[in-house]
Amino acid sequence: MTNIPANVIEYIQSMWMAEMILTYLHIDKQGCLIDWGGYPQHYGLTTLVKDKSVVEQVDFLDGFLDVTHTEVLQYLNIGGNRCINAHIVPLDDGIYVLLFDVTDEHDRQQKMQQQVNELSILTYRQSQLLQELEATRITLSKEKQQLEQASKLKSDFIATLSHELRTPLTSIMGYTKLLDDAKQADEYESNYLKSVKKNANHLLSLIDNVLDQTKLEIGQIKLHPNNCNIKQLLTDLKVLFLPIAQEKGLLFDIIIPNNLPVQLIIDELRFRQILINLITNGIKYTDKGFVEVNITWQNERLEFIVTDSGPGISSESQQKIFTAFHRENTANHLPGVGLGLTISYHLVELMKGQLSVESSPQFGSNFTGFIVADSVQFANASNVQINHTNIKVLLVDDSIDLRSLIELYLENDGYTVMTAGDGQEAIKLALQTKPDIILMDMQMPILDGYNAVQQLRDKEFTKPIIALSGSNIEHDRDYAFKVGCDKYITKPIVPEDLLNVISKITKQ
Amino acid sequence: MAMLQKKICMIGDFSVGKTSLINRFVREAYSEKYLTTVGVKIDTKELDLTNGNKVKFILWDIAGSESLTTTTVSYLRGAAGFLLVVDGTRRPTWDSALNLRQEVKKQIGDKPFVILLNKADLKEQWEMDKQVLEEKTKQGWKLLATSAKNGMNVEEAFLELALLMST
Repeated sequence: MTNIPANVIEYIQSMWMAEMILTYLHIDKQGCLIDWGGYPQHYGLTTLVKDKSVVEQVDFLDGFLDVTHTEVLQYLNIGGNRCINAHIVPLDDGIYVLLFDVTDEHDRQQKMQQQVNELSILTYRQSQLLQELEATRITLSKEKQQLEQASKLKSDFIATLSHELRTPLTSIMGYTKLLDDAKQADEYESNYLKSVKKNANHLLSLIDNVLDQTKLEIGQIKLHPNNCNIKQLLTDLKVLFLPIAQEKGLLFDIIIPNNLPVQLIIDELRFRQILINLITNGIKYTDKGFVEVNITWQNERLEFIVTDSGPGISSESQQKIFTAFHRENTANHLPGVGLGLTISYHLVELMKGQLSVESSPQFGSNFTGFIVADSVQFANASNVQINHTNIKVLLVDDSIDLRSLIELYLENDGYTVMTAGDGQEAIKLALQTKPDIILMDMQMPILDGYNAVQQLRDKEFTKPIIALSGSNIEHDRDYAFKVGCDKYITKPIVPEDLLNVISKITKQ
Repeated sequence: MAMLQKKICMIGDFSVGKTSLINRFVREAYSEKYLTTVGVKIDTKELDLTNGNKVKFILWDIAGSESLTTTTVSYLRGAAGFLLVVDGTRRPTWDSALNLRQEVKKQIGDKPFVILLNKADLKEQWEMDKQVLEEKTKQGWKLLATSAKNGMNVEEAFLELALLMST
């Protein structure tokens, strides 16, 4: 670099000093202010007095007069809006304090730091929030687990209860039927038998309704759509209800349209249940007049209207009519617990349909509903009588009563029957005698039906196995299929149904 | 009577409320707005002590940080005592305070100090461990719950430090 003239350097120096607003203070070794220069008033130092203690005049210098080397204090805010850097420089003739204005730089730093700090606080609060959320999630998860456990206990309880109630009921109903069929009873005995039968049926219907409602509450009812001869179903219902209606002096009819397909894919059992509930209610509440069921088939929708000339329902009651355990005031003397309509309503919903009521007091009621169903091509079924004597059935049940009863049904239909009292005995017998079909109770001592079926399938027993179970729980049904059952029948057993199933399955 | 002059430093993590405590103490003012301190702000306040003496506090409000930097170390020179400020709603600021206390001790020796658990007006968000605080009190540390927002224990904190510095 070539030399720069002294007057130019002087000019540049004065320009820099003005820009930095330089101020200096000269302090002697006793701490008294000797001299100052620059722009002290810029920093609020307006009343400086010579030969007086500097600490009393410039507060921030307290503690810095004994420095032995240069000390730099950055970003000092000593009041007002200005910010300074203070260089405290010890020299031979005392201490020089140099003040520079760094307000602009300070403000830039301040803005940056502000953002960093705010972000840091935000991140901290966010992490705290996440921790709280995680803690809440864990708590909720534990509660969910407890609820699931409670729900499982409830289901297990229902399954056990179902089994315990249905098994003896099967015996009662079965033997009552046998007695009724076999005996030339006198009028009294016949009435007694009718009473036993009626009450057993009522008890079964109550158990079924309570169980169904419980299952609907916990979402355990699943539909099992299959080919259903819908015309036959409706004719059966007509045959079933006609005498009951006639006994009360009522007209009853089910009107079936010509365009109704012979077969629909629906859950036959559940659809039958819906109509039975609606028709039973109609007959129960109607003292004179009629109960009529109108069926229509349109656009894959099976519509039904159950009309009665009963006492009708107030608009207030219509709001609650599909609520569980709701009963009309007029129905207190009639049997029932107020579950039939609720169950029907939910079953119709499960079938992608709707159920509603229209009624006015003294003008009867209309229960209108529809379900969505697919129709299937009808193939004529042959009614060829089959000789069952060559078909060997292994019947497994721990209840001697029930075993004897079912054995009787089967033998009357021509089957050859072998029996076993538990799963272990059943496996042994099945492997020795190779039956054409096994009827397996699922809840038995020593080895239950589930394990027995699984072991048989493991040992490559390939013939059909029908599960007979007191449990109406979806989980049990699914598990039975999982271990290798081909059909699942719930107790109490309807002899005709059982024989039909065996006949079909053995034909296949 | 001659007035004593004492340099006091406010130390603690950022956003714990050091500047707000000084604003409350010096100007009886409070602002909800958070404004980061860069460097140091110097204020003064004269106070009448209970023993009849008058004292002039030179208050150094040092930029918040979890540890000392080379810049902040130079601010401590000549301090007679310090207030260690913690944000009661942020547990990590307690750990910063403990760390800062150790570092200050290394730099300027064992000076009197008081720990201020600030933001006592937000007690429902408190994250302080009661047991830890009790332990420190048992060790002879002076702890005060303060609120720059409502003024709770603010003047008491400075008086307490003045008392410690005079013994």
